[in-house]
Amino acid sequence: MEKLPKLFCPSSVAVIGASNNFGKLGYHVMKSLVEGKYQGEIYPINPRGQEIWSIRAYASIEDVPGEVELAIVAVPAQLALRVLEECGRKSVKGVVLITAGFRELEDPGGAALQEEIREVAARWSLPIIGPNTFGFVNLPFSLNASFTSEFSLLEKGGVALVSQSGGFSHLCGFRSFDQRVGFSKIVGLGNRCNVDFPEMVDYLANDPDTQVIALYIEGMDEPRRLLEAAKRAKKPIIAYKAGRSERGDDASRFHTGSLAGNYRIYQGAFRQAGILEVSDTEELLDVAKALDNLPPLGGNRVAVLSSQAGPGMIACDAAEAQGLTLPSFTPGTQDRINELLPPLAIRTNPVDMGPAWYSPEVTVGIVAAVEQDSNVDGILFLATYASANLALMKTMRDYLKDRKSLKPRLEKPLIACFAAPPAIWWEEIWAMDKEGVVVLPTPERAARAMGALWRMRQLKLAE
Amino acid sequence: MERLILEVEALRFLEQEGLRVLKSSLVQDEEEAVIAAKEIGFPVALKLLSPELIHKTEAEGVRVDLRNEREVRKAYRRLIETFHASHPEGELEGVMIQETGEGTEVIVGALLDPQFGPVIMFGLGGIFVEVLGDVSFRIVPIEKKDAQDMIQEIKGFPILQGIRGKDRGVDLRSLEDLLLKISDLIERYPAIVEMDINPAFASPKGYAICDARIRIRRGGSHHVL
Repeated sequence: MEKLPKLFCPSSVAVIGASNNFGKLGYHVMKSLVEGKYQGEIYPINPRGQEIWSIRAYASIEDVPGEVELAIVAVPAQLALRVLEECGRKSVKGVVLITAGFRELEDPGGAALQEEIREVAARWSLPIIGPNTFGFVNLPFSLNASFTSEFSLLEKGGVALVSQSGGFSHLCGFRSFDQRVGFSKIVGLGNRCNVDFPEMVDYLANDPDTQVIALYIEGMDEPRRLLEAAKRAKKPIIAYKAGRSERGDDASRFHTGSLAGNYRIYQGAFRQAGILEVSDTEELLDVAKALDNLPPLGGNRVAVLSSQAGPGMIACDAAEAQGLTLPSFTPGTQDRINELLPPLAIRTNPVDMGPAWYSPEVTVGIVAAVEQDSNVDGILFLATYASANLALMKTMRDYLKDRKSLKPRLEKPLIACFAAPPAIWWEEIWAMDKEGVVVLPTPERAARAMGALWRMRQLKLAE
Repeated sequence: MERLILEVEALRFLEQEGLRVLKSSLVQDEEEAVIAAKEIGFPVALKLLSPELIHKTEAEGVRVDLRNEREVRKAYRRLIETFHASHPEGELEGVMIQETGEGTEVIVGALLDPQFGPVIMFGLGGIFVEVLGDVSFRIVPIEKKDAQDMIQEIKGFPILQGIRGKDRGVDLRSLEDLLLKISDLIERYPAIVEMDINPAFASPKGYAICDARIRIRRGGSHHVL
């Protein structure tokens, strides 16, 4: 799989089955490449030649004058073998086989055809993403090798999502516009002809653009290979496993056999391999975002700082349910908070900053004091808009800007929950989010993401 | 082709492999039962061994906490009579006399999963495993850290730790050792398809295996099985 770097960062791409007809997948792949501003050479391939998307087309990939590193194939299944042979002869480095109609079919002919594809691919040492995939997007490389051009609009970041489902890739991608998760890559593995989870984990572990590897797994033929790859990888890996209802063998007279549901073994195996399991789509995105943008959580002691008592109480409950604790502040920090806050509300951890809601400087001053506290490993900061505190986000943003220039930089994760009506605070929140702060929509989700940092820390300590 | 290894045979095998099992002896008559009970030390348990009896307690095939020779003789006769009354044609292998175990019941299992290969399971015995399914899995081989995690991640872990200082916690090191030894055993005997060690007793003094059943593929490499 030494060709995977070329597959994901090719200097030239051919689209086999490229088309000017909106009703063909080859049209949409061309749209993704062109609108995604791919910087390399694009070669549309269509038996009729002519121009496609105003780019000169060729009848066959073998007619292309220059080298082709990546071929995106969107032709009917019965043509796939012939096209792959041509790709092999052209010394293509990798293929995205969007074409469906293989192992996913009920008809056993589909699986047989996929086996033939695998043999051709092996003969030419050709890595194939798919078949039956939407493709992939490599955001830092401005390469959208998929049939959905809007993936190019996603923010760049350090999260690589590897998904067994195209639908889930789209779901996560589109949710991420709201949740502001930044991606390095989103890859749809499809039927996993010869590029499967372990190959992707090995590749992404060495991909400089990727900080966090997120996996969506339905099932695997050889799960042990993934676990070995995960143990080798030095980056955080999170996994969302679907298909949990499969039970153990009810007919087994052994307790072990009747309890050994496939999902339960996955759960144990994930822990063994240092993979952090998440249990829903939102958690996958929240945790990926937190791991990508925050330093590791050094311990499980968190401070809850809330501009209103209620959300703070919710955050405390959620944090404790995650195995986090709320320590007392050091005397120095407590003195500073007592100077800033009148004795009208709780000033110990969790701090109710309610009495200071009209004073952004006091609120941010408390955040600053607690950041320095050696008893605190991470901070949950909650604030809701209330007209008179309009200036809070600007003050917070200025503080973060100043903080960035601090030496040594604080290595403590801060997860925030800021709520405001449309447009108010949003500019500041968007500017802060992911710059030392991760903003999530509710106290529960903020606490859960902090809990995930702690679980990841424990998994890493175990290695 | 598969075969079940049960009771005395399973315990012998595990003992040979260096695991601690409760002292057990298979006898064929009442006099042997008394001698065996005296050797093992009272109180003892009696278990009727027969292919007819899969779930022994339900079938009234077990007598526990027998404190002297008289109780052993009485229990022995009752077991045999009850068995012959309910299974007139029944085949009887004998009666197992066993040392009385002390502590918290735990289960250790192993299984050859079609995708994962050999896996190992840990949980507390009784309702914890049967009703709540409170168990943890790992793939074999496991390391010491995995054994610790398996024990700590079950919901019933506080029971092993000892409740509010009233009870001393069980010897967790010895449980880790049990899991590591079973992991090692499963690796060395690929013929083992499925295994329940249920129960083993865990106490501050260590663990001791009370009962086990092992399903093996015939023609496997293992000569003992």
